[in-house]
Amino acid sequence: MKRVRIPFIYATCLLFVGLLLAAIPAAESGYQVGDTARDFKLKNVDGKMVSMADYKDAKGFIVTFTCNTCPYSVAYEDRLIELHNKFAPKGYPLIAINPNDTKASPKDSFADMQKRAKDKKFPFPYLQDETQDITKAYGASRTPHIYVVQKQQNGTYKVAYIGAVDDNSREADKVQKKYAEEAIEELAAGKTISQPNTKAIGCTIKWREA
Amino acid sequence: MKKLKHVAFALLLSVAAALPALAQEVKVIKYAELEQLRQLPHDTLYVVNFWATWCGPCVKELPYFEAANKQYKNQPVKVILVSMDAVQDLEKRVNTFAKKRSLQSELLLLDEPDGNTFIDKVDQKWTGAIPATIMFNNKRNTYYFLEGEMKEEQLQQLIQKYKP
Repeated sequence: MKRVRIPFIYATCLLFVGLLLAAIPAAESGYQVGDTARDFKLKNVDGKMVSMADYKDAKGFIVTFTCNTCPYSVAYEDRLIELHNKFAPKGYPLIAINPNDTKASPKDSFADMQKRAKDKKFPFPYLQDETQDITKAYGASRTPHIYVVQKQQNGTYKVAYIGAVDDNSREADKVQKKYAEEAIEELAAGKTISQPNTKAIGCTIKWREA
Repeated sequence: MKKLKHVAFALLLSVAAALPALAQEVKVIKYAELEQLRQLPHDTLYVVNFWATWCGPCVKELPYFEAANKQYKNQPVKVILVSMDAVQDLEKRVNTFAKKRSLQSELLLLDEPDGNTFIDKVDQKWTGAIPATIMFNNKRNTYYFLEGEMKEEQLQQLIQKYKP
């Protein structure tokens, strides 16, 4: 009896360690292209809660982690508005999510978000991720950080593109590669996305102090 | 008379102390030069911090790097601050900032508007958020990467651990 029990304990331990190892990196690194993205229910600047599921006719979304305080985010505001205006009619609206903790970054408060959305006349929702759970789940690390997701037949959302808006944050008129736009064009046309991952310099997300 | 001399001397001293040390000049580089730096074969610990004048957490941690630069001046430890500001902001922002803070570490500005062309080459783990720091000594094959804020003790511990 004892001979059987000890290997069993070892096996259980190994399994447990394996499960832990499998769980930790996934929780830390967030989504990769091809993963299924979770929906969310976050408060918009108009006070209403917004989920991807609310958009019955959307084919996908341009989920964009951005904020009031990062100069890179501010530099991209007009280009995010353009992106939404171009692709919302084609079934890919933009949803902006502010990931920053308002204690760590007071100018990202809900009131400041409301003001910014009003001043810039954002045509898209600007949501607050108060718990930062969605930001962590997606694995966003900087602002701005784009996740293009496509709605699947079974109603889930598949990550199709992760990365930058384009190749020049400082000067919109010098942009040569519109990374996000090209990805959405290809996605909408049913083609394989030629560059599904891009990177850009941005601000760190201001995490809540543990 | 003697008293006056003392006063004059004290005055001179205080003026000298108030004059800031001359800040380093910011050198504008392309990625190729950063890559050359990364490949330097010397038995030296290079501490390379990526920052920008507009980045709050970066500006907050700069004094730690400046202090380390001063502290290890006579040892094989070299602190290099690489600004990610746009090259158009070199005079107006970066040089002004460097003078105001009289930065003493070596100062570079990486003139590469498209982060996608170089971020992965610096480190695949880097998502592009700044601050970010790399430390390396190619002679000893040591390498360290951090995306995010560096604590003062953390920087000290890392340098102690990796310096030749």
